[in-house]
Amino acid sequence: MTDVQQPLDRLIDRRAFLARTAALATAATVGTVALPGLAGIASAAPSPASGPAVKFNPELDKGAAYNKPRESVMSDPTEWTLSEAAWMIRHNKIVPVELVQAYLDRIAAYDSTYQAFNLVTAEAALKAARQWANRPYRGPLHGIPLAIKDNYFTEGVLTTASSYLFQDFVPPYDATSVAKLTVQGGIVLGKTQMGPLATSRATLPNGQVTTINAWTPIDPSTNPGGSSTGTATAVAGRMATSGIGTQTGGSITAPSNAQNLTGIKPTMGRVSLAGIIPLTYSRDHPGPLARDAKDAAIMLMAMAGPDPADPRSQGLPPVPNLINAATPRYEGGNLRMRWKTRIGVLPGYADGTSETALARQAFLAKMAAIPECELVEVPLPDEWDLLTGSAFNNVRLPERSEPFMPYLRDDLRGFGVSVTSWLQGCLLDANGYVTGQRAKLLLLERILDQIFGSCDVVVQTGPVPFDIVGLPEIAFPIGFTGGGVPIGTILGGLPYAEDRLLSVVAAYQAVSDWHWQRPPNPPAAASAAARSAAAVPDRGRLTAEEVAELTQ
Amino acid sequence: MAPTPPTDDQLNTLIVAQLASLGIDLDQLPAGTVADPVTGSPGRDSVLASLRSFMRSTVPALAGYQMPTPDAGDPATAMALSQQPAPMLYPSISTEWRKP
Repeated sequence: MTDVQQPLDRLIDRRAFLARTAALATAATVGTVALPGLAGIASAAPSPASGPAVKFNPELDKGAAYNKPRESVMSDPTEWTLSEAAWMIRHNKIVPVELVQAYLDRIAAYDSTYQAFNLVTAEAALKAARQWANRPYRGPLHGIPLAIKDNYFTEGVLTTASSYLFQDFVPPYDATSVAKLTVQGGIVLGKTQMGPLATSRATLPNGQVTTINAWTPIDPSTNPGGSSTGTATAVAGRMATSGIGTQTGGSITAPSNAQNLTGIKPTMGRVSLAGIIPLTYSRDHPGPLARDAKDAAIMLMAMAGPDPADPRSQGLPPVPNLINAATPRYEGGNLRMRWKTRIGVLPGYADGTSETALARQAFLAKMAAIPECELVEVPLPDEWDLLTGSAFNNVRLPERSEPFMPYLRDDLRGFGVSVTSWLQGCLLDANGYVTGQRAKLLLLERILDQIFGSCDVVVQTGPVPFDIVGLPEIAFPIGFTGGGVPIGTILGGLPYAEDRLLSVVAAYQAVSDWHWQRPPNPPAAASAAARSAAAVPDRGRLTAEEVAELTQ
Repeated sequence: MAPTPPTDDQLNTLIVAQLASLGIDLDQLPAGTVADPVTGSPGRDSVLASLRSFMRSTVPALAGYQMPTPDAGDPATAMALSQQPAPMLYPSISTEWRKP
């Protein structure tokens, strides 16, 4: 034997390392030498003052991204889905400034009732629209007006997260997601109302209810879903073509379900969290709230991918073409699943005779009738209620308090109505925190083995379990209550299975029409009353106890 | 023998002391149970009641959780739990990173 295993330091290519070091030294001296690989890292790494480096993604510009508007809505640009508006712009049937103006007109007419936005950047949006009209075509987001939740950094534009703590905060750069959307041609219409620091439904920091469910404009008590409420109401109320939110414990899926939208919460890491005010760094997920699966796919594909500014987003599988995945597949004129799919049905999901149960039964029956779709009963994993229940969900709380310690020391009242969970986070001992981290892995492995051992996607009765472990979920409409309030449901998937989830919802939306329904405009009286501050009826105020109860 | 559960007063002292050790003064909140009329911040007594509930529910529930015995072995030999899976902050990401 001549070979003796070398220690690891002998296995590193020291010559290449030294060569790179020498080249770097030269570059530092001369300042003009391009270094493949190294130069890219240097330019992509954001500094707090410069923001993320993002690039135009030509993969978005696929034929499947464009749909000619339905005849029934051809005359109203605010009725178009994103893919329909994209078709109209691509075919020069409308210019971006006309589309933006149509939305600004609706905002002017109705947002005093909806209160979906806390800031409308009308002039900047019109300016951007005029600029995009004279630039090379960028794909389906070219000239598309978007609503941005107010916890995403927007360069030069107030970003409050509905909190006293950030009431004067003007970020010096865009969040990576915002930068990615705008480099593709998206136009920011404004920032949307949200629950304080992404807790509860949208309110002012003191708990005063602001945003209403677009489906019940004369009943502010109807839950619009939180905490991405404003984005949901903006899209449902046809005040933006699409929008983005964040989810830590249901904040994309809940408002999507409440307002007849299709929202996708991607796998943890699939979308960068850089430039987003954090709530819980191991569980925050950025994602779109859209009108249907195709729109959600376009938005998510623009947002997704590795970001040097967020290590959670790196070392993951490449982003597949989600737009194709969200395109219904037909053979001989007959709809089929894009991929053969087994839908797991958890115990009790569709039991009973409530409106929700009946809608769930009808949804499952529709899916079962699509060729290559199979329903399978799956069990709840061992200790499901315990591992997804309150105590183990609370493991997230120290992640909430630790980054905010200076604020907690300075003035507790700065947290307004949502202070309680930050104080709870200060009290959870490290022993329990570590136990909780171990339990998350145990829960994930049980989900993978005991649920996904026999199915490809699974219905959800709540968003929290998959938020705890970072798995993807998609929310979409499946009906209405007798009172005209939307009913939605949630499907969960394997890690990085956003394409599969979108394909299932696209197939369902090809055989259902819930997602085409739009809420009626607010009655003129409601809008007029809302415009008069003195006449605005009190929408109520959430107490700290209620916020603690609602907070995920 | 199990220790006697703490009383409300003992828990209040613990909570106030723990927060004070972090530099947080609970007295910044309004006294009593009435919320601050401007900011909506809850009254101190309301917060203390909520924090006591947290200390009596979440903290012992997590501390008392027994991870399952590896490979269905003898529970008696697993009491030390020295071979538990490593804690994971991001389990879905770690699943991808752990692939061969």
